[in-house]
Amino acid sequence: MNSYKPTDIAGKLASGFLRNPLTVVLGIFLLSIGYLALSIMPREENPQMVVSGSTVIVALPGASAAEIQKAIVKPLERKLKEVKGVENISSMAMDNVGIVNAAFFIGEAKEDSNLKIYDKIMQNSDMFPKGAMNPIIKPLDIDIDIPVVSVAFYSKNEKMSKTELYDRVKEIQHHINGLKNVAVTELKGGNKHQFNVEVDLDKLSGYNISMGQIVQGVQSLSYSVPAVKNRTKENEIIMLGVKNAIESADDIGNIIIAQYMGSPIYLKQIAKVTSSYDIQNFKSATISKKDESGNFSQLQNQVTLSVSKLQGTNAVIIADAVKSELESYKEFLNKNEIGYVITRNDGQRADEAVNELVYHLLLSIVIIAILLIVVLGWRESLIVTFTVPAILAITLFVAYLTGQTINRITLFAFLLSLGLLVDAAIIVIENIHRHYHSKESANKSVDDIMIEATDEIGPPTNIATLAIIMTMVPMAFVGQMMGQFMKPIPANVPVALIASLFVAYIFTPYLAVRILKKPDFHSEEKH
Amino acid sequence: MFKKFQNAVFEGIQNPKKRNLILGATFIAFVLSVLMIAPSKMVLAKMLPGKNNDTFTIYTTLAEGSSIEQTNRVTECVAEFIKKEKNVENFEIFLGMGAPLDFAGLIKGSHFKNSENVAEIVVNLTKKHHRDEPSYFMVQRIRPSIQESCTKLYDNTTITFVEPPAGPPVLAAIVAEIYGKDADGIRELSNRVKEVFEKTDGLVDVEVMQDEIYDTFEVEVDGTKASLSGINLKQLNDVLYLAFEGMQIAVKNSDVVNDQIPIYLSLSLESKKFSSKDIDAIKAKLSSLKLMNSAGMMTPITELVTIVPKNSNPMIMSKNLHQMTNVMAETDMVSQVYPLIEARDAILKNFSDKYEIEKIGLFNLKLIDKNSKNVYELIWDGEMEVTLDTFVELGAAFIAALVLIFLLMVVYYKSYTLSGIILLGSFLSIIGVIVGHYIMDLFVSDTFFLTATSLIGFIALIGISSRNSLLLIDFTASLMRDNKMPKAEAIAYATATRAKPIFLTAAAIILASTLLAGDAVFGGLGVALIFGTIAAVVASLIIVPILLYKADLNRHFNLDDA
Repeated sequence: MNSYKPTDIAGKLASGFLRNPLTVVLGIFLLSIGYLALSIMPREENPQMVVSGSTVIVALPGASAAEIQKAIVKPLERKLKEVKGVENISSMAMDNVGIVNAAFFIGEAKEDSNLKIYDKIMQNSDMFPKGAMNPIIKPLDIDIDIPVVSVAFYSKNEKMSKTELYDRVKEIQHHINGLKNVAVTELKGGNKHQFNVEVDLDKLSGYNISMGQIVQGVQSLSYSVPAVKNRTKENEIIMLGVKNAIESADDIGNIIIAQYMGSPIYLKQIAKVTSSYDIQNFKSATISKKDESGNFSQLQNQVTLSVSKLQGTNAVIIADAVKSELESYKEFLNKNEIGYVITRNDGQRADEAVNELVYHLLLSIVIIAILLIVVLGWRESLIVTFTVPAILAITLFVAYLTGQTINRITLFAFLLSLGLLVDAAIIVIENIHRHYHSKESANKSVDDIMIEATDEIGPPTNIATLAIIMTMVPMAFVGQMMGQFMKPIPANVPVALIASLFVAYIFTPYLAVRILKKPDFHSEEKH
Repeated sequence: MFKKFQNAVFEGIQNPKKRNLILGATFIAFVLSVLMIAPSKMVLAKMLPGKNNDTFTIYTTLAEGSSIEQTNRVTECVAEFIKKEKNVENFEIFLGMGAPLDFAGLIKGSHFKNSENVAEIVVNLTKKHHRDEPSYFMVQRIRPSIQESCTKLYDNTTITFVEPPAGPPVLAAIVAEIYGKDADGIRELSNRVKEVFEKTDGLVDVEVMQDEIYDTFEVEVDGTKASLSGINLKQLNDVLYLAFEGMQIAVKNSDVVNDQIPIYLSLSLESKKFSSKDIDAIKAKLSSLKLMNSAGMMTPITELVTIVPKNSNPMIMSKNLHQMTNVMAETDMVSQVYPLIEARDAILKNFSDKYEIEKIGLFNLKLIDKNSKNVYELIWDGEMEVTLDTFVELGAAFIAALVLIFLLMVVYYKSYTLSGIILLGSFLSIIGVIVGHYIMDLFVSDTFFLTATSLIGFIALIGISSRNSLLLIDFTASLMRDNKMPKAEAIAYATATRAKPIFLTAAAIILASTLLAGDAVFGGLGVALIFGTIAAVVASLIIVPILLYKADLNRHFNLDDA
């Protein structure tokens, strides 16, 4: 049946699939894996960047900045310099504490880098001077450090004590932390419970008491012990518990600090003892929000709960889970007169960015389809338009397999490749169109025309596509943050282009045979 | 239409006058467009433009040693301005600490903030679809008024505006790292650089990363007196700390609240405040504090110590084992390249009174103090450095792409001339890229920068336009080989036939890119593709046929031996 012998891979693919019943199955399969990838791939706004680094904090109480620099920072810097892959070491020497930060080259694997620093410090833990505290090593982790959701809780009741809000939010925090794929939850703002003993200096000197005596007095009564176990004569166990002497602020106030002229001095005589919040905590968080009438509320105390996700998980799903978890606490919160505002939702932001771009992508496809209808006719246009989702589906699936996420840059890579990937199909369909309408092919079979037209255009199209792929390859080697940031472009555009070749060679002739009408050459020629 | 174009090409390529005119015009256009970037600054370069965000953060930093109450006053001042904004949905103030971490804060060290002199204000705006004003315009608008009225509340207060970056985050747009051996010299030089930055147009949020030196007091213990009265230093320290800072001296376990409840001891707020900031006031307070020795004897602290004023120890910073300080500045909606050059010129001009200045590398400076002969270095970092690196690397990627394509073509055609024609044709799309940016700049309200994404678009364009030329040459070859057409006729026929798919694919690219052009980050890519493709079409339909005609095609297509 096929008399034309294809020479190029293009013609071979075309003839192989032209009458194959599996072609349609392949088409449906491609579209469905693409859709699957689109729906299960994690979404985020910006691509994941591999940034590694660690901060080492060493405290040496009582040392001045210059002493810290000599005794702690400089030896530490020298040791960290030995670690391979470190790009920059920056350090700060302050009174009492030295901080050294080692930043790795962009792209250095996170786990390895963290381990290297940890190893180096542990192997050389003898280098720290006497009196230095144990070094604290804090690795940088973008996923865990940067929360995807933050919620500000505030009290609707002005009389609510400062600690109550914190306590209630802390209960919610525990449940949010239990949600799937949530890495770290953190609270900012709020105050903890505390018994405050505020001593009046004048009375202190008036009674001739030292601060040390107060410390001794309080410590002697705030000692908790486990219950004592004993047996009766019948060998029954009897527990004997010692009640904690301090149960309330009054108990503390009634502690006897000293004797003065024979009479006891109670703590409450020289100090104000209250059960309230941590007054020494200078940190606070407040929020003001706009009401319906457009006025801002007074700044009021709030507690912010921030939630970060595990690496490679979907911010959209986590954000939604947090949201619905909060919904389920609505009654609890209402009862306690606590309101909340979601102040950051990266999941939603990512979802919006992705959906907007997907919409742009569809819009572009429609625009190109209209252009093709005008120039080539609607049948040809239909064929080319079908190839676009097929190509994108393959690219998406490959991106999914290689562990990428859907983010702004991936979608921009798709938009960029959209203009390029219809090319192969357009060139093939245009050549089929030309052959169909030329007089020489009037007597050839339809299949032959298809295969010949595809085959003819094969070598230059292959080489031209290869040329575009070539331009993308060096981009993959661009380093720095920008190279990392742009990585989805060199990663996805070549895949899309290769996919576009195969789809053009397989599906364009297949659809053309079924959709295009062969012109009648007995009437007048069109061109 | 088809015939007309074919005839035009046919005649055009055979007429030497027209040929040279077109080639000459192309060359001039190429030179002019390159000139648009470098000397004339008609097209400005920047790594990435600003992005319209739904949120931004205001960092307020007071002088080292300021109290939380003072910080609070500054943030309240800022809050008053924010409350006037109609596009603000809510805002949060984090006093004494950083806000929940974001990308920018990670680089700027927001998570290490833990002192009374810092605060961060998170401003959440209404969703960008419901808002006319992009966040970067809003920041630009409110920045001067907030900075003017709120920074003057206390000396050395800085208020900076931090927007989520469009691309990778950096410490600041411009960072001048001042390296040197002595802290005082670095301090003096960095303050002078700061002044230069403040006077430079387009630079805002200027900040020096160093602690101010402020007055402190030190308690000196008289060792003899202390041992005579049977009191040790630890006791003294503890009491001082307890009295003024306070300490958690015991805890109580609780099943009601979530943590252990500490018992915290301190002097009451009213009685511990010094009446003023001088030695006498401190002495007056300390005289009421007494220490008890093992025998139960009470000794007032003031008996054992003398109080002397001294300066605080500022933080010592170093990078890669060299002592340094950062002077940082943000750019106000302009590219960081040009203010940097301006600031550098100002440094070269004004600093010669005290320093001998040498240029090192591309922009960096070496300053030698004329009196002390101390050597300082000024190294530029920040977004500027990243921009330079990125442009250099993308440029290298571009050249690598050209070489790869050339080699590919040589392999395919086995002819240097044909490969050269293709390369030349694709290189001409740069005219379209640069002119396109200039045209866009005329139309948009803010500056339309040539960005890193423009370069990426340009790299992709080489591939696209070489595809056009390639299809054209291939068809010409097959016409000459199979149909035995003469050269001029074959070129003209091939050009006219290939014009349709070339136009079609170009139209597809242009249409697909129009949506890109609207985006802040990828606008450059879109514009580069749109205008570059137009130039590429012109190049492959006009320039390439002319060049082809000038080449000995029979030899290059190996038709002679056939």
